[in-house]
Amino acid sequence: MRTVLAIAAKDLRGESRARQIAPVMLVFALCLVFLLTFALPPGALRAPVPVPVAGALPARDITGLLLWTSIFFAAVIGFGRSAAADREGSAGDGLLLAPVDPAALYAGKLIANSGFLLATQLVAIPLFMLFANIAPGALFPGILPVMLVASLGMAAVGTLFGAATQHAEARSLMLPLLTFPLTLPVILGASKLTSTLLIENRFGNEFRWFILLSVFDVVFLTLGAVTFEFVIEE
Amino acid sequence: MKKDPLQPTQSLLAAAFLAGLALIFFWVPTESFQGVSQRILYVHAPSAWVAYLAFGVVLACSVAYLKTSEARWDWVAHASARVGVLFTGITLITGAMWGRPIWGAFWAWDPRLTLTLVLFLIYLGYLAFRASASDETRGARIAAVIGIAGFMVVPLVHFSVDWWRGQHPSRTVIRPEDSAALPSEMQMVLVTMFAVFTLLYLVLLALGVRLLKLENDVVELEADFLEKTVITPRPAG
Repeated sequence: MRTVLAIAAKDLRGESRARQIAPVMLVFALCLVFLLTFALPPGALRAPVPVPVAGALPARDITGLLLWTSIFFAAVIGFGRSAAADREGSAGDGLLLAPVDPAALYAGKLIANSGFLLATQLVAIPLFMLFANIAPGALFPGILPVMLVASLGMAAVGTLFGAATQHAEARSLMLPLLTFPLTLPVILGASKLTSTLLIENRFGNEFRWFILLSVFDVVFLTLGAVTFEFVIEE
Repeated sequence: MKKDPLQPTQSLLAAAFLAGLALIFFWVPTESFQGVSQRILYVHAPSAWVAYLAFGVVLACSVAYLKTSEARWDWVAHASARVGVLFTGITLITGAMWGRPIWGAFWAWDPRLTLTLVLFLIYLGYLAFRASASDETRGARIAAVIGIAGFMVVPLVHFSVDWWRGQHPSRTVIRPEDSAALPSEMQMVLVTMFAVFTLLYLVLLALGVRLLKLENDVVELEADFLEKTVITPRPAG
């Protein structure tokens, strides 16, 4: 456990000095959020749910998807940077030489990556709500557990495949290519929970997504911890 | 010239495939509601079966490879992924061809279609990664991890795409795969085609594994040759 925390602390300290992961994620997420909310008709995300026209979704139904696709793409950039930092700074080589359990290494990097992702969300989500004219009480504090399970799931996949793609030729292309279909349940789940919270002010029937996301987290955390050694081994 | 041990199986497959096509086109009765387009089912459903079988084999061989580090498991996994992607593609295309006249659209965001498309993307990613991995052994190890993750996510993707549009009536569409309702001739042809496609899968897998082994042999021969050329000192002149 001390190793895990030491590795997480190393990544967080490195970031606090270099500042090349979280700010980039944040700016990227904001660009996407800005573009997507700007493209919608004014007030569309705030308007009361209209009487459903057959086949048409109320605009607020897509709020969650706007937010979480933006966060997903920002997350992929962050995971890529975080893994590349280890390769470029040779810290990765040092960690490989150190007598450290690969599962602990994975857990440490996972904590750091989840931290970057949560920090990004804590700034990006309120700004998104500001752009989209959503009242603060409409999403907070209900969205906090969504952020937590979703970040953990994205980071579980991203930490594993961020390290895995470092030695591929087209690494910046391979990471999103692999991460997107695998994290689809997380993106869909977080989006559905966010939209439901916004429309109904509670999770209601959609609470089942929490179970799905938790199962996802457990499955990929286990897989990552077990297979990380094969990914980093020279 | 050594005799190819796969030759008899290939001949059998060719004969069985032609016989199967003959059954589909000339023997089995035309379905009364869907007409002639229903016949694509005899290719569509076996393709989907082969795709899932192939990805299951990728999973099993990836686990075996990580446990043993024996290259042959990796070759089987790699070859199986190629066949799986091919047959997922065939499943999607034949499904779209059937959907156009029956549903009125090439594509419907039905949970099963969506799941198949996601599988296609995952294993395309697997193959793309294999193509871009710079180190052979390391690439094989990481590909094995992708192969395992790709299969483990299937039930989760299944639930998520099912729930995402839970309130929509897409699931009440009559599905051709509900084979319990099929008349016995149709069932017979379907079972035959499942057998033919399974054989086709095995032959393609065997050929794929052989190809990967040959590629590996060439690389080893080259390395061997280079080593000898470099190390052997030139005779003093």
